[in-house]
Amino acid sequence: MPQEKLYATPQAAVADIQNGSTILVAGFAGYGFAEGLLAALLEVGSNDLTLIYRAGPYAEVESGSLPAVENLVSNGQVSKLISPMPYEPGSGGVIEQQWQAGQLDIEIVPQGVLVERLRAGGAGIGGVFLPTAVGTRFETGKERRNFSDGEAVLELPLKADYAFIRVAAADTLGNAIYQGSSRNWAPIMAMAARVTIAEADRIVEPGELDPEAIISPGIFVNRIVAAR
Amino acid sequence: MPQKLDELTMALRAASELRQGQVVAVGSGLPAKIAEILPAQAPVQLLSDGGALGYGPSQPDAGAGVCGPDGRPVALESGGSVVGMVDWAAMLRGGHVDVAVVQPARVTPSGDLLGWTTAATPGLFAPGRTVDLAAGGGTVIAMLPHTGSDGSANIVAESSPVADGRSCVNLIITDIAVIRVENGALVLEEVAPGWSYDEVAALTGAPLTPADDLKEISPDLEALKTARHSKVFPDGPSAIGDMPDGATVMIDGFGGPGGMAHYLLVTLRDQGTRGLTIISNTIGIARIVNFGTPAGKLAIDHSVIVDNGQVVKAIASYPVSPSMSRPSSFELAYRRGEVELELVPQGTLAERLRAGGAGIYAFYTPTGAGTLIAEGKESRVIDGKEYILEHGLKADYCLIRGHKADTLGNVVYKGTSRNFNAVMAPSAAITVVEVDEVVEPGELDPELIVTPGVYVDRIVIRPEAFSAYE
Repeated sequence: MPQEKLYATPQAAVADIQNGSTILVAGFAGYGFAEGLLAALLEVGSNDLTLIYRAGPYAEVESGSLPAVENLVSNGQVSKLISPMPYEPGSGGVIEQQWQAGQLDIEIVPQGVLVERLRAGGAGIGGVFLPTAVGTRFETGKERRNFSDGEAVLELPLKADYAFIRVAAADTLGNAIYQGSSRNWAPIMAMAARVTIAEADRIVEPGELDPEAIISPGIFVNRIVAAR
Repeated sequence: MPQKLDELTMALRAASELRQGQVVAVGSGLPAKIAEILPAQAPVQLLSDGGALGYGPSQPDAGAGVCGPDGRPVALESGGSVVGMVDWAAMLRGGHVDVAVVQPARVTPSGDLLGWTTAATPGLFAPGRTVDLAAGGGTVIAMLPHTGSDGSANIVAESSPVADGRSCVNLIITDIAVIRVENGALVLEEVAPGWSYDEVAALTGAPLTPADDLKEISPDLEALKTARHSKVFPDGPSAIGDMPDGATVMIDGFGGPGGMAHYLLVTLRDQGTRGLTIISNTIGIARIVNFGTPAGKLAIDHSVIVDNGQVVKAIASYPVSPSMSRPSSFELAYRRGEVELELVPQGTLAERLRAGGAGIYAFYTPTGAGTLIAEGKESRVIDGKEYILEHGLKADYCLIRGHKADTLGNVVYKGTSRNFNAVMAPSAAITVVEVDEVVEPGELDPELIVTPGVYVDRIVIRPEAFSAYE
């Protein structure tokens, strides 16, 4: 029964991603990227994609992961990025070039606001009033309201078609644990996507993970592939 | 010109502001250097948006898989824990971060700051964490070079029409000066060795007033060389004895005897604090619903303080007995007109508790739309679906039941007790945890800590002989 979440290859796990899809890409700096899935997406070639991710700082991190996002952009597969930091200052590369050429749309969202919008999307919340953006350039166009705690602006939920997450271990039901910084965005992104694909360093049988230690219950993980 | 301070000396000066027990969120760049110069096991905890709370200097072979704000691998200090982005953001918004240290591009006398932007790409900017740090720190310290590489001032009179933070900066530490932001003005408090007021003022793009006791910068980390304070209290009465009449108190686990701070409930009954508003799931039905209670015994639950006349109001989701013939203590008090009740659906209660602790002032939820629960509340259609507006909940005290805690207040739970306890812990001014066992920092697996010590103020051990039944 549980085997239905297991996919033999990253290519098989991402094969049905349609043009125009929105994809959450978990990871922080060089940690926690589903590198195999990103590489497979490059092969599958879906385009007109919107990617939501927290990149950088990556310039000093030895990892092929972020270039994978850049590769998708440079391969013409991406039409929009939603990110707190789509690239590190001074190292924009192809992302900056395409943005300046008008080929790529970029929406900047402060990271704490972005994660809360994703949580709202995943938790069925219609919107949250947050104080973060009050008085800043990120308040533009948003409803502001006064509460007993102070002023806050309405932030709307974000959802996606897919999430690519990297997990330390998953059981075949999709219950997942993380290591260190890989936990950073993944559990929230897993909730906010219609189809969450986990690239797992280890795949185990149900019951092998300590139930008190599971961070993402299997209900939030739809597909599992082994990391190379 | 005299020499400018190097980055590590700037970090030492910033660290001189830190005090025992503080949670300090740091950004990348200069603020990240603070981790490099803190004394080992300093009595503060650094928070990185890389997902580390309580970490030390960068170590290429740290092995924990956690990183500092600049992406470099770090090791957790004993008592540190792994947190996710949503926790990082909630700690900042919810008022749990004492100091935020950020490196902006520009700062103004009104304390506004601007994060990174470039002349080459107007309109595109990457605030990353800056907006969250600016909005969320109790005290905000800006660390930046006094001038840009072209010699232009980074401290300017007016920010552009846009800002990443408004009136947020309290202290500016540059490579030549320490400047306090006071009522919309800049006061020069310290200068780097060899620098004069005039020389610093000449490189500052805004009016600068010298302090009466203008000093030379001299980092002082004495306050960080003390041992970390233990949060362990000897017993219940010492842990909640200061609770005043009229307090709002959160307390619950779920259902029966599993997972409630029974010992603290009995302590609260015995000390007799009155006029309490209790935020709970059930406000006490375990006593009348036999959840495996041994024969001849009564389960301890909220009923013990309701029967004692200490409660004036409950905010709860399940305040009645499932049996008409066995009403709960709260039901009886309600029928007698002695208590008020605000009814909240269970999931909304959990979400309101989370909102209170995470600095979410209000949120739209579909739960209860179109029902009695919606009466008197704003209703709104968003994306074709009807929602109602609910507000965050906060309290003066929260009494939670953990399984183990270390002396810094990091908590792990056992089974059902995680249910309401974990979501309540961040939402009160004073959170007291009742545990079976206290261990030293470092003994709990940092990946398994559910409630970081950031949220816990006091710890008591449930006496071994204590029974959840009486």
